Amino acid sequence: MRIIDLLRKDSIEIGANAVNKERAIDILIDLHEKCSVISDKEKFRKEIFKRENASTTALPNGIAIPHAKSDSVKKTSLSAITLKKGIDFSSPDKKPTKLIFMIAATNDADTHLEVLSKLMTLLVDNVFCNKLINAKDCEEFLRLIDEKESERFTEQSTVTPSVHKAFYDVLAVTACPTGIAHTFMAAESLEKKAKEMGVSIKVETNGSAGAKNILTDEEIENCKGIIVAADREVNTARFDNKRVLFTKVADGIHKPEVLINNIIEEKSPIFHTGNTSKEEKVTRSDNAGQRIYRHLMNGVSNMLPFVIGGGIMIAISFLIDTILSMPQDGAFGTHTEASQFFNSIGSIAFSFMMPVLSGFIAMSIGDRPGLAVGFVGGMLATTGSTFLLPLGDSNSISGFLGALAAGFLSGYIVLLIKRIFSFLPKSMEGIKPVLIYPLLGIILIGVIMCALNPYVGMLNNLLFNALNRMNTASRVLLGAVLGGMMAIDMGGPFNKAAYVFGTASLATGGYNIMASVMIGGMVPPLAIALCATIFKNKFSEKDRKSAMVNYVMGLCFITEGAIPFAAADPIRVIPSCIIGSSIAGALSMVFDCSLMAPHGGIFVFPVVTNALQYFIALAVGTISGAVILGLVKKSETEKKVVKNYG
Amino acid sequence: MVSEKTRLVNEQGFHMRPATDFANAMQKYDCDIRIEYNDNQINAKSMMNIIAAGIRYGSDITIMCDGKDEEKALREAVDLIESGLSE
Repeated sequence: MRIIDLLRKDSIEIGANAVNKERAIDILIDLHEKCSVISDKEKFRKEIFKRENASTTALPNGIAIPHAKSDSVKKTSLSAITLKKGIDFSSPDKKPTKLIFMIAATNDADTHLEVLSKLMTLLVDNVFCNKLINAKDCEEFLRLIDEKESERFTEQSTVTPSVHKAFYDVLAVTACPTGIAHTFMAAESLEKKAKEMGVSIKVETNGSAGAKNILTDEEIENCKGIIVAADREVNTARFDNKRVLFTKVADGIHKPEVLINNIIEEKSPIFHTGNTSKEEKVTRSDNAGQRIYRHLMNGVSNMLPFVIGGGIMIAISFLIDTILSMPQDGAFGTHTEASQFFNSIGSIAFSFMMPVLSGFIAMSIGDRPGLAVGFVGGMLATTGSTFLLPLGDSNSISGFLGALAAGFLSGYIVLLIKRIFSFLPKSMEGIKPVLIYPLLGIILIGVIMCALNPYVGMLNNLLFNALNRMNTASRVLLGAVLGGMMAIDMGGPFNKAAYVFGTASLATGGYNIMASVMIGGMVPPLAIALCATIFKNKFSEKDRKSAMVNYVMGLCFITEGAIPFAAADPIRVIPSCIIGSSIAGALSMVFDCSLMAPHGGIFVFPVVTNALQYFIALAVGTISGAVILGLVKKSETEKKVVKNYG
Repeated sequence: MVSEKTRLVNEQGFHMRPATDFANAMQKYDCDIRIEYNDNQINAKSMMNIIAAGIRYGSDITIMCDGKDEEKALREAVDLIESGLSE
């Protein structure tokens, strides 16, 4: 049985005018009579009031369900009204009643109970009730119920009303810098919450493998608004003239309800793109810090593939020479033809690192014109060009720091040029991207980088030497700190700061730093998985099952796998993970492990120097994390997880 | 945590009035009170949740209380149900 089958257009009145409870009840009885479901109106009316006078049938949140089980009812049915002005129905929360369903049930306890229970299952959802109250007409009222029931009791409905489901109330786009975990967690979290709230949603995931579940123009046209939960740039031009809420991807994971409500209640401003897109976009609701983080991450996420491919190839070249026991001299990694191949191609891929980083930061700031300027700026940071030696001075290579500066400067240079030349007439518009932006932009960034390189280069050398000359104690400390940082927010800014530092040091040969960073990122999921395996009583069965996946996540260096557990119990999980990660990071330094690949987890272990010790460091970190977590975590029997019905 | 198995004896099932009375009676306790029915755990302090569960006459249910006044709460809950929820 479905609620929708008990209602029809004639048994509903939208925006009824009732001054009091008695009048409202009479309207509902009349509706029943009109649909000829009652044989004796007076008798039915008496029974309804008898029940109502015994105790109120009002529920919290402005709902009431007067009801009677009676011989005078021919066929179990419902009538419903919504009220323009709420009336006093003696509800338990003292709020005025605005939505009333009347059950007319045949004299059979089970049918009555079933109707009541089915109806209540729908009405426990506040958002849904508000939608019903605000329904414009009977058709909408019926459609809302139909949709809600279809999603709740899909197994019971034979035909799903596809006509109404074609469009979504809320659309969302999620994207995170690495595009492997947060993107999808935010999508899942939004979808889950929307389902609970009875809101239809479609989420496009802009992951590392490209966008999936792409929003169509038609869907965008027909939605209430779009949530953009992204830590990097996504294509927003298509959302012109719609309500758009810009936020961090983390909010998608942690505050889905707030975001969805924001769209439903139409709180976000209408978004406009257009020719002056940049100026408009700056008015997004994020602050300067978030913007800089997003620009930076746009660079980092585009840089990573080069580092991964190049780094692993260089590592393979070393591995080949090690296996063939070649001398570890200056030519190590190029002694054989095979190793030379891997080493050279890998190095070439590596050399893209800085230009790509800089280029995509600039593009994030200044749109397409920024890309070329940023690329050149990044390249100048690698060559170390100065005014004296424009072709490059090996003492002035400003490396990662220089490329970062180049990226941001290029972006803002382009914005500045755009601003300056905005006076040009429309007819000259076409000349800007093909002449003015690239020429002026590249000249300017060239001047700036040549001026900057000697100083940043000095700083770079200083840092490099300091890192290299570090004694064991400080290296171990650095390893512990970086490892720990990876576990603090598992994919958030701390984690990314440590990770970017690790990949940046790859460029200057700080391979042991990368090793500490990666191991620190592998420990949290592994520690949680191990803890769930050893301390079974500390996890619910469901959590135990999902914890097993964390073995895979951890081994693949996807720290984000730990987030659901950390989010559920941060006070215990995060410190345990930090301790485990710090231990692993420190041990990796103690054993002098080094890693040339910035990603890959267990799959790049073969190319790690001192791989066995590295594995030991990982195991020790994981076990310590798991044991600490096991000791501090409350057991399930103590806190018995409870599940809410409905 | 304490719990007790019982059976719903009032013929009308857990409909609106008994659910309201029951939830109101349970709200005075500090402890967490749940009704387990058909593998679902229902918040016994929420009348709407109880009704939504649609518990019928003759159903086997388990009352579970967890908190400092759990013994008292469990006693009253079971007594209420076994007395037929004043029906």
